[in-house]
Amino acid sequence: MNAHANRVLILTATLFAAVALHAAEPSGTEIMQAVYDRPQGKDVQGTLTMTLVDSKGKERVRSLRQVTGTFASGEKKLMVFLGPADVRGTSFMNWSYEEAGRSDDQWIYLPALKRVKRISSEGRGDSFMGSDFTYDDLGDRHPSEDEHRVTGSESIAGEDCWIVESVPRDPKDLYSRTVTWVSKKTMVGVKREYYDHRGALLKTLTISKLESISGVWVILKTEMRNVQKNTSTRIEFSEVKVNSGIPEDEFTERAMTRGL
Amino acid sequence: MMKSRVLWTLAAVFLAAANLAGQEGAAVNGYARTKAGALLEDASLFLSETTLDLRLSYRSGDAGFFANPVLYEREGQTEEPVLREAYMDFRGESFDLRLGKQQIIWGKGDGVFITDIVSPKDLSRFLVPDFEEIRGAVTGACLDLYLGSHALELVWLPAFTPWTAPAAGSLWAPALPFPVTPTFESVVSPGFSLDNGEYFARYSFLGESFDLALMGGWFWNDTPGYTVTDKTFVPGVGITALTVRPEYYRTAAAGYAASGAMGPVILKSEGAFYGLRRYQGNPMIYPDGYAEKYSLQYMAGADASAAGFTFGIQFIQDLILDHDPDLVDPELKTTMTFVATRTFLRDTLTAEVFTYMGLDPLNALVKPKVTWDATDALEFFLGAYLFLGDEGDFGRYDSNDGVYLGAKFSF
Repeated sequence: MNAHANRVLILTATLFAAVALHAAEPSGTEIMQAVYDRPQGKDVQGTLTMTLVDSKGKERVRSLRQVTGTFASGEKKLMVFLGPADVRGTSFMNWSYEEAGRSDDQWIYLPALKRVKRISSEGRGDSFMGSDFTYDDLGDRHPSEDEHRVTGSESIAGEDCWIVESVPRDPKDLYSRTVTWVSKKTMVGVKREYYDHRGALLKTLTISKLESISGVWVILKTEMRNVQKNTSTRIEFSEVKVNSGIPEDEFTERAMTRGL
Repeated sequence: MMKSRVLWTLAAVFLAAANLAGQEGAAVNGYARTKAGALLEDASLFLSETTLDLRLSYRSGDAGFFANPVLYEREGQTEEPVLREAYMDFRGESFDLRLGKQQIIWGKGDGVFITDIVSPKDLSRFLVPDFEEIRGAVTGACLDLYLGSHALELVWLPAFTPWTAPAAGSLWAPALPFPVTPTFESVVSPGFSLDNGEYFARYSFLGESFDLALMGGWFWNDTPGYTVTDKTFVPGVGITALTVRPEYYRTAAAGYAASGAMGPVILKSEGAFYGLRRYQGNPMIYPDGYAEKYSLQYMAGADASAAGFTFGIQFIQDLILDHDPDLVDPELKTTMTFVATRTFLRDTLTAEVFTYMGLDPLNALVKPKVTWDATDALEFFLGAYLFLGDEGDFGRYDSNDGVYLGAKFSF
């Protein structure tokens, strides 16, 4: 065996070892990309019940019908509030796009004013309907917005998980970092911690019910707890249907005004 | 006695709601509200009002019915039942048809009505009530045709509905555009006939980055013109007596409304060209007391969110074309509006300030309001309306500054 053959053999062995190691322990970016790319279904619809709990334990409940569809142009979402009485019939529509940096289009319909109004989508860090979730928390965050690294593994409720720390590339981002426990089996983030800009834990998201519906993992019960304000918000998703063939023209001004 | 009648009605509605709740497709919603207001000038109570607003709906398949009866009880007045809306609707694959009394709201502006030309306004208390209460309803047919994000709305109104004017002698009665207090003849209104129908059409598109609407109408002007039918002129003194006849008249309008996103800001605009409308003038110059002129109205504005606040600004101009100096209205009127809204305490407390500002002369109406949701069903509110300046559309009501408070129960 000559020197050249030796070098080829060593290089090949190294590559195999790297691939084997790679398969055993993917990088943080690969994990978060896999979470992002996880099949979401062509469309998902259901009833969302949101329970807001204040620091004294007092509860307020909001319920809404939600329809989400993925199309060539991007993702479209329509939410129509069922209760409480003073917001019944209010609807909210969001169109988001794959193009990096492109802002969402958003509209709100207030039945009292009988008018659909385009609104700014820049308040991504604002609270969603007074809850512990921001609009950003409820959306899909593209992995390229953060730098990710795996910090370990842990079992959560019997699920083997990777622990991935994500630090925003934009230092002005809402959080200084997040830590996500990603299930190795479902590639769903089953727990996430959000840290403020002082580095202190701000909020914890936990998922307590996950179900495969029509081959798609759907989060049915989740809770966001603000540990600094001692408030929490529970979200339950019920009457869920996946891939029922909702057409793109269901996401229009007409649907906003007449409800789902 | 009055309050107890509202309570009895409320109890009856709850019983009806409980009964209806078992019926598939039926729903009873609404609110009961009590409101009291005082003038700042002398602390006199000028508003004591209890409102019961019901939204009754029934839907079976593609057909449905909606009614919005409202019962007002105001201190010192008899009960005032109002049927704000009552219509049937049919929903097809690509069309909706509504027949009956209904509110049809157009335009992109907040608190301005440039292209909102279908439903008349209730200005009996000027611009002081919430905007949803200022808009009236019309009786007729409204057909919407849909193709994706495109829509065409066609409206036919066989019965004319005029604006609601402030009662003579009320706080909000406007100054009349005459040199002396006139004697009024009976109002001339269009009767119910096919010839007197009003027609409107609007094309609208809602899409990526921008929304657009184009509209037009051939209709009766919602406010009457005043035709001088008799006058007494004394040389060296001027006009000493005047008789006028309020007349509703035909006019037309065509306009646009658009809004779009530019980064974090929503830009919006609407404008309309109005056909001949009657502008009051010097009765010695104009034998009928008015001149017919074309006019333009347009608005440009922006909305944005920052630091938890939502802001809005609008710039509005009203231009009378081929203006004469002897007309009461100026050739160009410029108004601006400002709005700022912020929620606190997990959206249970909302603070808002809406301001109209006339630029020539400088005068304004400032409407601050704070609303607290004590529970999901019960809210308390406190507000004010402050008129600044001595003249102009808002300054003329300078002595009408007031505060109000109340409670609203939604069900």
